Amino acid sequence: MALGVKGIKTAFMAALLAGAAFAATPAEAAGKLTISSPQDPGSWDPIDTFLVNWASVGTNIFDGLTYRGPDRKLVPGLAESWTEMDGGKRIRFKLRSGVTFHNGEPFNAAAVKFTFDRLLGEEGAKGPQRSNYIAIESVEVIDDTTVDLKLKAPDPVLLTKLAGYGAMIVPPKYIQEKGDAFFNVNPVGTGPFKFVSYAPKTGIKLEANPNYWGGAPKLSEVEYRFITEPATAVAELQAGRVDVVLPPTIPIGMVPVIQADPKLTVLSIPGPTVDALRFNTKSGITADPRVRKALIMAVDRAAIVKSILAGQASEIASFQGELSFGYDPALKPLPFDPKGAQALLAQAGVKPGATVQIDIRGNDATMNEVAQAVAAYLGAVGVVATIKPYETNVLLNDIIPQGKTGAMFQQKWGGWTFDYDNTAYAMYHSGEKWNPYEQDADLDKLLESQRAITDVAERERILKQIAHAVADKALEMPLYNSNAIYGVAKRVKNFPPASDNRPKLTEVTVD
Amino acid sequence: MPDAVSLHFFRPVFPGWHVLAGFLLKRLIQAVFVMVVVTLVVSFAIRLTGDPALMLTQGAGSITEQDLERIREALGVNRPFLVQYGGFLTGLLRFDFGNSFLGGTPVSRLIADALPATLLLALVSMAVSIALSIPLGIRAATARGGVADQAIRILSLVGLSVPNFWLATMLVLLFAITLGWLPPSGMESPSNFVLPAVTMGVILTATNVRLVRSAMLETLQSQYVMVARAKGLSEGKVLYKHALRNCAIPLITYFGLQFGGLLGGIVVVERVFNWPGLGTLAFDAVAARDYPVLQGVITVLSLLIVGVNLLVDIAYGLVDPRIRTS
Repeated sequence: MALGVKGIKTAFMAALLAGAAFAATPAEAAGKLTISSPQDPGSWDPIDTFLVNWASVGTNIFDGLTYRGPDRKLVPGLAESWTEMDGGKRIRFKLRSGVTFHNGEPFNAAAVKFTFDRLLGEEGAKGPQRSNYIAIESVEVIDDTTVDLKLKAPDPVLLTKLAGYGAMIVPPKYIQEKGDAFFNVNPVGTGPFKFVSYAPKTGIKLEANPNYWGGAPKLSEVEYRFITEPATAVAELQAGRVDVVLPPTIPIGMVPVIQADPKLTVLSIPGPTVDALRFNTKSGITADPRVRKALIMAVDRAAIVKSILAGQASEIASFQGELSFGYDPALKPLPFDPKGAQALLAQAGVKPGATVQIDIRGNDATMNEVAQAVAAYLGAVGVVATIKPYETNVLLNDIIPQGKTGAMFQQKWGGWTFDYDNTAYAMYHSGEKWNPYEQDADLDKLLESQRAITDVAERERILKQIAHAVADKALEMPLYNSNAIYGVAKRVKNFPPASDNRPKLTEVTVD
Repeated sequence: MPDAVSLHFFRPVFPGWHVLAGFLLKRLIQAVFVMVVVTLVVSFAIRLTGDPALMLTQGAGSITEQDLERIREALGVNRPFLVQYGGFLTGLLRFDFGNSFLGGTPVSRLIADALPATLLLALVSMAVSIALSIPLGIRAATARGGVADQAIRILSLVGLSVPNFWLATMLVLLFAITLGWLPPSGMESPSNFVLPAVTMGVILTATNVRLVRSAMLETLQSQYVMVARAKGLSEGKVLYKHALRNCAIPLITYFGLQFGGLLGGIVVVERVFNWPGLGTLAFDAVAARDYPVLQGVITVLSLLIVGVNLLVDIAYGLVDPRIRTS
């Protein structure tokens, strides 16, 4: 990092300003891809962060034991194969041999053990990743290329979780010698691209790792630039200075701008993020399930998806998209039926003019519009809705977990694992953070039972059962599953628009 | 200040260093007080708005209270507020702002990266604005009531009414996308300065032009201008040497204060142009509840603003010796 140098450099810029050639030079050399990412995670250590924009970069620097590509199929990564033993309480991994880290350090069973000991030990305890891998009790090295993960209890999602984030394998010697603080800003992994430089809040540069075990990448360089402001990211794309804008950056309203540009294209695919309006099921008129059902039936969600979201989303029946494990195509949402809604409201003794408050994330432009449409639909059946936008952190920290919401409040989540459990447990299990009002022993039992089994079919059955139970109780007004929207220059070929925002760039080329 | 001048107008003039030192000391104590109050309020207020441990774990499926407690422990946010604030103050004495919650980078390093970017943009914007507003303001004053005056005043009104993010977006649309002459964002080359500096500069000029105009009008009515003209000096010399120098005091004060305000107000422009400065740093820190970074940025900003005000006072004294003694 050129920290001290930068001050001097910037000072020179002022002097140069007067004589500057006022021409913007495109940043791309041959074989270089420039990507706009909305956030700087601050550290490139896999165990320090949970930001999806860490993973967009991290997936190109690091590898996990398993790998999950854009098709969301779990395939071998640094492990060539694995077998479950002891009824799912032990997983034995056969490791790829001859793989080295970018610094030349060999990848082996000891590196795997180091990675998980670090994640589950003192260093990991300071960060957010540890909780995801808590099922792992210990790591046992069998020989140089064989390693066992010994589990406290079976974890059906563990193999997926090994494909990303905190489970990325890190180099033991490098970290021990250089220290954690150095590793944070000088990451070394086994992935297709090697770290070159990082300027906080500005960007990170990578170069091809010609010795990549999965085949050398076709690009020679990749630069990620951190651009938060959507209009700025799109302007850079239009000016030809970035080739790809990663989600979640491009708002739906800007999609036509990109589509209208002959040099650009929009790649839009279902992502993990789902929106719903959860009800206060404890007090007020929404404590009555008939009222909740009536409110759901009063709103034409298909029309909202079509008009406000311009088709960049799909309607949902439970809090998950169709890519999610646990999704049941047979589960249909309550139909749009204002007459039926009015009848149900009358039955529940709700008089016209009754009020509900809808709490939303204030910075969520789409939800601001959607909430207004919802309020208008509710008004049509005689329920007066007021919208209360909160600063997102206040809503998430103080309002929802403390049970201080209005009658309805926005839930917006998505897990990169694409497993219903990821959100369902935190939203429906008693005492969980996103479940301030509901206590249901049956639902608790279902949620707990699926966590202990690795039988895929049986687990899927239980997850579907949970989705049905939530829909039957009308705990939320299901809204939509948003698409992940990528803006891509047409000079970029073979770009894989990953649903989980982790496009691996090995096969990408540029004209 | 002007009151003080008139009060002590007849006192003998001592340009003594001890007077200046006493004056500086007084201002220094004021500065420390201001900074303690500002950082105290900011540190306290941001802690009311959310838990950084929750922010860090937002994407995680299930986080238990113990997990959160461990993270809070590691970040040091589970200690009582005054202990945390005390730690911040003692760190400050060692020029240590602590480490960012997001990735653990030392805050001093983030600020060292961002500060030159912000200062440079602010300086260039000020330079653009001064270069525009002094000739325009003088022109408006000399052509008082005439076409040039009217035009300049109307343009300044337009400039005042235009929101800076709108102007920034329009400039980007025209010069970066349609014409492709300038880069839309970032800070890799001198050409990157043009759009943000012009955006800021134009908006500052709108106010400054009016200020220069009114200061100039006042000065032009004074007797020494009449004398200067009577001496047969060229109009340029009269305006730029005699009149401008005499109305320099209010202008210096104003530009100085404006520079302080500019550092705070640059946030929006930094964001639109993705400028890697203090504004962007503060904005991200608020969004992530990154207390140490926000505290650090606010401390540095208030230090700068207080420092610039102090410099303005000193410059005052240099330009007008009467003030040194008051």
